[in-house]
Amino acid sequence: MKKKTDLFWKILLYIIAFLFLVPLYWLLVSSVKTDIEITRFPPTLWPEEVKLGNFIYIWHYLKFMRTFFNSVLVSTSTTILIVFFSTMAGYAFAKKDFLGKNILMVLLVGTMAIPAAVRLLPLFFIITKLGMYDQLIGLILPFGVTIFGIFFMKQYIEDIPDSLLEAAKIDGCGEFRIFFTIIVPLLKPATTALTIIEFTNNWNSFTMPLILLKSPEKFTLPLRVGMLSQRLVEMSWSQIMAANTLVVIPIIIIVLFLQKYFIKGIMAGSIKG
Amino acid sequence: MKAYLRLKGLIKKTDHSAYLFILPGIIIILMFVLYPSIWSLIASMKDLKPLALRNSGLFELPGRWIGLKNYVLTFNDPLFQKSLLNTLYFSAIFIPLTMFGAVLLAVLLDKGIKGTGFMRTLFFIPYVIAPVSAGLIFMFIFNGERGLINGVLNLLNIDGPGWLTSTKLAMPVIAVMLCWKQIGYYMLIYMAGLQNISLSLYEAADVDGASELQKFKMITWPLLRRITMVVFILLLITAFNVFQEIFVMTGGGPADSTITVPFLIYNQAFKYYHIGKAAAMSYILFVILVIIAVMQNKLNQRKLDY
Repeated sequence: MKKKTDLFWKILLYIIAFLFLVPLYWLLVSSVKTDIEITRFPPTLWPEEVKLGNFIYIWHYLKFMRTFFNSVLVSTSTTILIVFFSTMAGYAFAKKDFLGKNILMVLLVGTMAIPAAVRLLPLFFIITKLGMYDQLIGLILPFGVTIFGIFFMKQYIEDIPDSLLEAAKIDGCGEFRIFFTIIVPLLKPATTALTIIEFTNNWNSFTMPLILLKSPEKFTLPLRVGMLSQRLVEMSWSQIMAANTLVVIPIIIIVLFLQKYFIKGIMAGSIKG
Repeated sequence: MKAYLRLKGLIKKTDHSAYLFILPGIIIILMFVLYPSIWSLIASMKDLKPLALRNSGLFELPGRWIGLKNYVLTFNDPLFQKSLLNTLYFSAIFIPLTMFGAVLLAVLLDKGIKGTGFMRTLFFIPYVIAPVSAGLIFMFIFNGERGLINGVLNLLNIDGPGWLTSTKLAMPVIAVMLCWKQIGYYMLIYMAGLQNISLSLYEAADVDGASELQKFKMITWPLLRRITMVVFILLLITAFNVFQEIFVMTGGGPADSTITVPFLIYNQAFKYYHIGKAAAMSYILFVILVIIAVMQNKLNQRKLDY
């Protein structure tokens, strides 16, 4: 009896896993089909002729080197700022007493639920008035800390025993030396997790580049690829899938290598939070 | 005296270095999170002209105060009513689908079937794919003329519909896409919750001869309730923020059937320059989100008290 139900769950799990793979499989297979094969109906499940020409075409069409560089620059810089500033603020919230701490905490939690749509238009005006419209810095500096990041780091820093910090203080360590030589090294799993979570968010970001950039040579990858949806008449689906492959592959490779930290970070964060 | 109180721990010593540590983060949050939120609240009660706004300073919002007129205008706008219903309709499909799907996956993976490590990764991968890419992939799969789904239906001699060109089917397709993309994240949260449930509870149930379904109903689901409350709020926020998926997949069509509130706000603000109205819409969306969140919290709190 028990064996039978186990088999049922097993089959169910495999079916779901198969269905989950289908979109990824279809993305890769379609990206190497010829323009003629891609329009055939019903579609071929395996390409009759593997053609890498779509990638060459889309490479030029997306101005890939330039666009890829913009994406790397924006995602990396923003992520470094987020991790650094969130760790600093998280440390103060976890280990220090200061006037206004509770008010600030309530404020941070309160703003977390405000839909992004509330801030869309004002952010456009504020960033424009600061002279950062159509500049990559406008996608970096204003997003250089996240409330999620602060709380994420705060949880981990709270686990560091106070006695360790007191001992360092008695030994005459200054505030910043304590932070950089004791706190930061102990947080490596947490900062790795936060780095990969925030890098993924920024790498995939579409809405902010859409409203903050105007010149095509500053576009990031998701912005260019998202804009392909407005060009469905002149592009073939195989070319569009090739473009998506180029966006999706780098992040999947990074995540596969660092998934241990990513998954642990989410699971640990959810329990403590 | 002061030193004495401090010794007894009655006054906590303010550590001034704390301000240095929070300074960069707090400046960014005040300027780019808090100020924009207040900006929108003020703008929603003003008659803002785009031209005047272009010449104003960073901290001034030109225009006449008009009270709640923008809110009245918004509520009477048929397109806003439609977009609000669309957003609620989307939430009604997306939230249960993702929530129960995530619990199911977490429970299945928790059984220790062979290959679960690989599957956990597999279910998680869509979460890191760019939303615009996920949208384009599903657009092609659900394409009416040459999509994979209709190709499979064709083999079964069924004439597949134009999924994304149908006013009835477009929204469910987008909900399924977002579920595929997001479910892995919530599965992980539930898996973390399952690890906290003591095995002895299940052993006791086994002694009593409980079935799998009974164990889930009596032990697993009630003990996951706190996590479910958090998951619900996170999914609600996600559902109320759906914008780029619409931008890429349907542009709000066919016949406005997929216009969500954030998509309408984007159009009002950046296409028609109805600034006050766009701001009013965004705060109505926020208030509705808070009301739903508080209601579900109250409902669940009552259950938790038992």
